[in-house]
Formats: sequence, C-alpha cells, structure tokens
Amino acid sequence: MAQSETVSATDATKARKSELGRKLATVPANVWFVAIILLLVPTFTGDFVQYQVFGWSFVLGLISLSLMFLAGYGGMVSLVQMTVAAVAGYCVAIFGTSGVAEISMGWPWYLSVIAAILIATLFCVATGALAVRTEGIYTIMITLAIASAFFYFTRQNYTIFNGFTGFNGVLPPHLFGIDWRSPTAFYYLSLFWAAAGYFAVVYVSRTPFGLALQGVRDNPRRMAALGYSVNAHRIAAYAFAGVLAAVGGILLTWSNGQISPGTAAVGPVIDILVIAVIGGINTPIGPFIGALIYVVLRTYALDFLVALNLSGERFKLLVGLGFLIIVYWSPDGVCGLWNKFAPKLRLKRKENASTEGKTDV
Amino acid sequence: MRAFWKRHPIWSAILVAASFVLLWLIFAIWPPELVAVIGKKKVFVNALLNGITLGALYFLVASGFTLIFGLMRNVNLAHGSLYLLGGYIGYEVATLTGSWLLAFPAAFLSIACLGLVLQVLVFRHLDGQDLQQTLITIGISIVLADLMLWVWGGDFYQILAPEMLSGPVETFIQTGVKRSTGAPIFLKYPAVRLAILLAAVVIGLGMWLILNRTRIGMYVRAGVDDREMLSASGVRVQLVFICVFAFGAGLAGMAGVVGGTFQSMAPGEDTRFLLSSLVVVIVGGMGSIPGAALGALLVGLAEQFGSVYMPTYAVVLTFLIMVLVLAFRPQGLMGKG
Amino acid sequence: MSEQSLKQDIGTEYALELRGVTKQFGALNALTDITMSIRPGERRAVLGSNGAGKTTLFNCITGDFPPTSGSVMFFGEDVTAFPAHERIRRGLRRTYQISLLFDGLTVRDNVYLACRGVSRGRFSMRRANGDDALMHAAENLIDIVHLDDVREATVSDLSYGQQRQLEIALALAGAPRLVLLDEPAAGLSPSERKDLVSILGRLPTHMGYVIIEHDMDVALRVADRVTMMHNGKIFKDGAPEEIENDPEVQALYLGGGHD
Repeated sequence: MAQSETVSATDATKARKSELGRKLATVPANVWFVAIILLLVPTFTGDFVQYQVFGWSFVLGLISLSLMFLAGYGGMVSLVQMTVAAVAGYCVAIFGTSGVAEISMGWPWYLSVIAAILIATLFCVATGALAVRTEGIYTIMITLAIASAFFYFTRQNYTIFNGFTGFNGVLPPHLFGIDWRSPTAFYYLSLFWAAAGYFAVVYVSRTPFGLALQGVRDNPRRMAALGYSVNAHRIAAYAFAGVLAAVGGILLTWSNGQISPGTAAVGPVIDILVIAVIGGINTPIGPFIGALIYVVLRTYALDFLVALNLSGERFKLLVGLGFLIIVYWSPDGVCGLWNKFAPKLRLKRKENASTEGKTDV
Repeated sequence: MRAFWKRHPIWSAILVAASFVLLWLIFAIWPPELVAVIGKKKVFVNALLNGITLGALYFLVASGFTLIFGLMRNVNLAHGSLYLLGGYIGYEVATLTGSWLLAFPAAFLSIACLGLVLQVLVFRHLDGQDLQQTLITIGISIVLADLMLWVWGGDFYQILAPEMLSGPVETFIQTGVKRSTGAPIFLKYPAVRLAILLAAVVIGLGMWLILNRTRIGMYVRAGVDDREMLSASGVRVQLVFICVFAFGAGLAGMAGVVGGTFQSMAPGEDTRFLLSSLVVVIVGGMGSIPGAALGALLVGLAEQFGSVYMPTYAVVLTFLIMVLVLAFRPQGLMGKG
Repeated sequence: MSEQSLKQDIGTEYALELRGVTKQFGALNALTDITMSIRPGERRAVLGSNGAGKTTLFNCITGDFPPTSGSVMFFGEDVTAFPAHERIRRGLRRTYQISLLFDGLTVRDNVYLACRGVSRGRFSMRRANGDDALMHAAENLIDIVHLDDVREATVSDLSYGQQRQLEIALALAGAPRLVLLDEPAAGLSPSERKDLVSILGRLPTHMGYVIIEHDMDVALRVADRVTMMHNGKIFKDGAPEEIENDPEVQALYLGGGHD
C-alpha cells in the first residue's frame, strides 16, 4: 500500500518533470541565449556596469513594467507607479532601519518589506479606485495629480516623511552572509525580481483574469454585457501592478541607500512612462529595453554631449527628442520598430538567397 | 440657478448660509473670543484675498487647458511649459521696451503662434488618437523645459509691475480700530493683485460671452458636447480646433506674464502650474469654463488657507478636495455627467 | 443552477416586466412610457422603423444605460438600479446590432470569455487548460452556432455572417433565461438567414428571447408574439398573424416595403 503510493508519487513527479521538460523545450532559442548572457554578465563587466547600468535598468524596468501592465493590457496609463514604488521605499525606511533613528521603527527586514508591499499595493488600489471612476485619457490627469500631491506632501511633512531630506542609510539585510548592495549580489537580486516580474506578467496575461482585462481594455461595454464588473477588473489590475511597483521601489531604495521626495518628483514619475513608451508599451519586455536605453543614455550621454560642446545637462533634451520621435513614428516603441523591420530583413535575406540560387542555375 | 435651487434645496441652503457667514467674517469687526480661536482678522482676510487672486491666476492658466481638453480630448501636458515660456517672453519684452502692458500681447501672440504651429504640424495628424497626442505633449514639455533651462538658466526672474500698480492700496475692509484715536483701520492690499483679479474676471466674462453669444462659440460648445456632430454638421472642424488651440495656448502665455509679475519664474514653475491646472480642471469639471473658475477659486483658497492655518498639511487640503470630488462627482462640480 | 432557476421561474409570472420605462436624451424622448411583459420561455419579436426606439429599449433593459424613469423587473426582481453585469449574472443576455467582439482574440477565446463572465473565477490567475469545464462549454457553444471550422481563427479574419453568429454564441453562454437579440439577421445572406432561424428554433424551450428584426418573414417565423414600436412608443401588440393582417401596421410598416 505504502509502496504503491510512493510509486505513484514518483510517477507523478516523473510526469510533472517530463511536462516541464516539454514546456522548456518550447522556449525559443533566443530566449535561452538572452537568459544565459544575462546570467554571465558579471563575469565580463565591471562593478559600475553591473550596479549602475544593469542593476538600475532592472529596477526601473520593473517599476515601468507595472505601468506597462496597466497601460498595455488594461488601457489605463497610470502615472502613479513611481509613487507606489516610493511609498514602498518610504515604508521600508520608516518601519525598518535608516539613518533617521527618531522616525524609523527598526522592525526586522522581512516584516518591514511585507508591510511595505502591502501598504504600497493598497495605495495603488486606492488610486485605481479613484481613477477608474472616469474614463480613458482622464486617468493620466488624475494619476499625475495624485502623484504630485504625494511628492509635495512628503516634502512638506517632517513628522512621518522627514521632509525634504527624506531617509538615508536604508540598506538591504545581510542575508546568507552576503552584502546585497555589493555590485554582483545586487545585479543578481535585481535580475531575479525583474525576471520574476516579467514572467508573472507574461503568465497573467493569458489567464482568465488577464484575458478579461484585455477584454475590458478593448470593449468595456461588451464585457459588462458578458457579466464582468468592468471596474472591479480595473481595480484588480491596479493591485497586481501595485505589487510589481512596490518590489521595484524597495529595490530602488536599497540600491540608492536612501529615499527622499525627489525619488517620486514629477520628473521621475514621467520618466517611468517615457521608459515604457520608448521600449514598447504593449509588450512586457518593452519596459526593460526602454530602461536599458534610458540608463545608458543617462550614464554615457554626458560624454557624448560634452564632445559636442554642449553641457551635460542637455541629456533631458536628448531624451525628450528621442521620446517625441518614438511616439510620433513608432507607437509600439523600439519593440515595435523591431517587429516592423525584422520580418522585412528576414524576407530580404531570403530573397537574396533565392536570387543567388537562380544565378547559380 | 432656479433649477439648482429646486433640485438641491439642502445644498442651496448651506451655500446661502455659508455666504452670510463669510460676509459677516469680512465686514464685521471680530469679537475678541473669535480672535482667540482663529487668530487675527487681518490674517484671515489676507488669506482670503490671496486665495482669490491666486485662484484668478489659476483660472487664467486652467481655462485654456480645459478648453483644449474639452474640444480635442487632448490632455495638453505641455500647458505648464507654455505658461512658463510666456512668462519668460513677457519678461524679455518688458525689460527691452520698459512697458509692462506690452508684455501681455507679446506673450499672448507668441505663445498662440506656437500653439498654432503645434496644432498644424503635430496634432492635426494624430486626430482621434488621444493617448498619442497626450504622450506627444509630454515629449514637448520635456524638450521645452530643457530649452528654457538652456536659455534662461536656473535663476529666478520677476517682471516688475509699473509704478501705479506697485504699492499697496487701502481697501474698504475694516480690520480693526486704532486704539489711540478710535479711527478705523482699513486693510491694505497690493494693487497689482487686485488689477490681476479684475483682469481675470474680465477675461472670464469675455470668454463666457464669446462661447455663449457668438457663432464660433456655438461651434466650440457643440464640439465639446459631441465632436462627431460638429464634424457631421459641415463646420470646418480643423479651423475651430486651430483657433481654440491657439487661443488656449495664448492664454497660458499671458498667464505667464501675470504669474511672473506677482510671483516669480524659475524652472519647475511649469510643472507646478500644470499640476494646479490638472487639479482645477478635475475639481471644476473637464471642458467647462465656469467649472474652471469655480475649481480655480476653490484650489486657490484651499492653498492659501491651508498654508496659513495648517502649514504642514496644506497640500492635503487641496488633495482632499480633489479626492472628494472624484469620489462623489467624478465628472467634476460643473461637468456634465 | 438550472433547476434552481426553473423553480424561480415557476414562482414568477413574468421573465421581464417593464413599467413606464422612459428614456430622454436631452430634449429628445427616445422612449415614452413603455409598459410590457414577457413570460418565461416566450419568444417575442419587436418590430418598428429606424428610430422607433428598439435598441434604446434593449439598452434600458440590460443597463447599458439606465432609463430616465420607470422600472425594469427581471423574474420578479427590480433590477432598475443594477449595473449591467449584475443583470447579466441573473440570466439576462444580449447581442449587439453592430458586432461588439474582441477582434484580436480567437473565436474560442471570445466564447471562453463569455462563459467565464457568467461563472465563478472571473479573476482566476490560473491559465485554462484543455480539461477546463468552461472550455468544454465554450467548444459546445461554438458547435451550436456552426463555427466549428473556424474556432482557432482570429475574429478580425471572420466573414460578416460568422461574426454575427459569434455574437449569438456570446449571448448563449452560461444559463441564459432571457436573450435580447438586436437584429441578428441584418446583412445576412438568405442561406445564412435560414441557418439563423434553425439555430433559434433549436434553442431549449425554457429559454425565452426578444428579437429585433426588420425582416417580417424572419420575425414571424421565430416569434410567438409581436410588438410594434413607433416613435418611442408601443404601437401594437399581438399574435404574429394579427399583426401581419392589421391594416394600421400594414399602412405604417409593410406599406413602406421591405429593405
């Protein structure tokens, strides 16, 4: 009896394993390629690139991914995502430990992280509940207004948010004897959560909830006529996006070691949208590509601009112009450009090959 | 008005009662007990007047925003940049010519031209793509902000008001009695702020008249209510769009001169005024000029009273108004449901 | 579920009852004081010229937009203040005159969404697999409306007639008790019309429907009772033969010729 049970159990695990194997086999080769490259990046790059370029891109990409989820699948362009991230960052600083001992409560890190994710998600849901009361383009206005109210409030309030200076010395825990702020460790930490966020979004987009959300985006009236509560779905989408942004916010705070009103000022709030749009707001990989472009520009444009005899401050001009060009000519961002031109290139190669074949004959 | 009274008798009663209390607070000499509770009358009346004049400025900025939004469904997030650019241009003109008055038409015309160019070159080609239009305005605001920073730097600029408006004037509001002589003390208030208030009221009434009494106003109102109807009726919609966009932009530019006179101009003011416009329009009702006036007044008062009576939570007050409106009347106070 | 609903059906006299339903758009009266009732399992046709208010009537019944005044009772329950999705979950369904489908999704995903909408797990975070009961229900519906050849096709690739059939499939998901069909035959070829009539004829008898139809021949074949609307009011109400032979109706409607 016991034996047969164990046998069937091993059978089940075998079956599961083979199923997993089958699923893994369906993953296209270029995904494997990207995954392996990303895992190996620390072996051939320096601390600066790992931490300041890739680590930062993953974190910004994750926050931007939450915007992409709302905008791409839900049709709601929410500008509050960076604010949600900042709420999570503030919570980690307030509940956990920071350089401002008078305010920080010194909870153990896991408690403060859980509390941060919960509160930030609640904040995102509350914003969503307000925003979904109106339609379409109004969402941008309302979320931007809420985001800026949070910014001004944190800057004014000293009892909870420590005003203009915010909190410094907000550090990740030394778990398993690793300093998670060391470049390589942070690289893998942020890569892990970025990948987790990415796959979560890809998975959810094909679940009943994700399908229904896309239905709500395309055709809210019909969705109501099929028995769906359109607003409940939209608010649930805000909850999911809130979790993504909260995780991104905690990582962002840890990587900077500090959080202050400037983290969620109007500039950074808009930047999250810019990142998603540049990369491609309709596909989950878009925000990460956008974030990488943004960070690379931000890091290296200085040298480029100085070489052109311009001040390094003109970085914003560069980003703004790039953003305008993308919005005007490729609404799907860089990913859209890729989809537009990659098939043509492939076609051309084929044509070339066939014409070569003909000349041979 | 009568319809409102009929539909909402309780609200009307509250409003009437509130106006009586307000009138009493303004014109009566406060008894010492009241002063003990909420402070000096002078502080209160000053906050009230500051709130109203700030509201007037917000109205000037937001009315263009709401007009453009109502007609084109375009959330023009570059509106704050147009405001700031108008202010800088007004400053340059005023310092060059030495004439404060000349700054207004200069700012209005140049920013209206900019609006016209934007409408013809960019927005016309994206008609109906609300989101893309709005995203483009974000790009424009980023670019304009950096260009302005390039030209004018990070310093504060202030446009000097002419002599006759520079000092304070004595108003008819009595704040107290001189202890020595028993003569009444009247509140002194900056003349330039009162002039601006007057100008805002005139512009607001003018816009209302144009919208309600002229043919083009009729087209615009029809377009706000139903865009398809407007295009179906054979009106040259693009022309109406261009006019409204140019006018709304010009208004923002002119408001920049106003703001540059009684406040100051610096990088960051563009986003500040964009945000106040957003809140004003959300509170007042999207696309409605009277709504913009009401919203601007409320937001201006909330900011001023907030900063006087609850300094650390002033923002929360403004925010609270917005949240309450969104929760109970998502279309805005004067918006159509 | 179906047993329970049957019991409920027996308890109430009418599937749908409208009392003084009026809808104004600004100064325009689109519907004026509509009072009508439909028994469980009844098949009713609504006729009338363009602008008679038929689609507006449907919109008021389903809650796409609420009536200005009057009340809507569904199986004895006052649903006037209910949002659309709550009415749908109680067994009301509708199709749209101009197809409202999810163009980017496949036929199967469209029907699957419809089945999900009236069952639990609307927020499910688990992907559906092959042995999902709702997926089976969706496949069944696809067979019922004869779309089995194109179940994997994207909606935008379907022919017009196929899209109309898919509209009907979406309205039959779950356990409908009353279906509102807004001109399902409009724009169909004669053979497609025949198909439609046979689909309607094979629906279970406890499932009532209200059908808006311009084509008198179709309407008279699929309905037990006919309501004529004119200028937002009910003009005539009766058995198909009565309506067909009514001189006033002929003058108003049939005299104008078919379209």
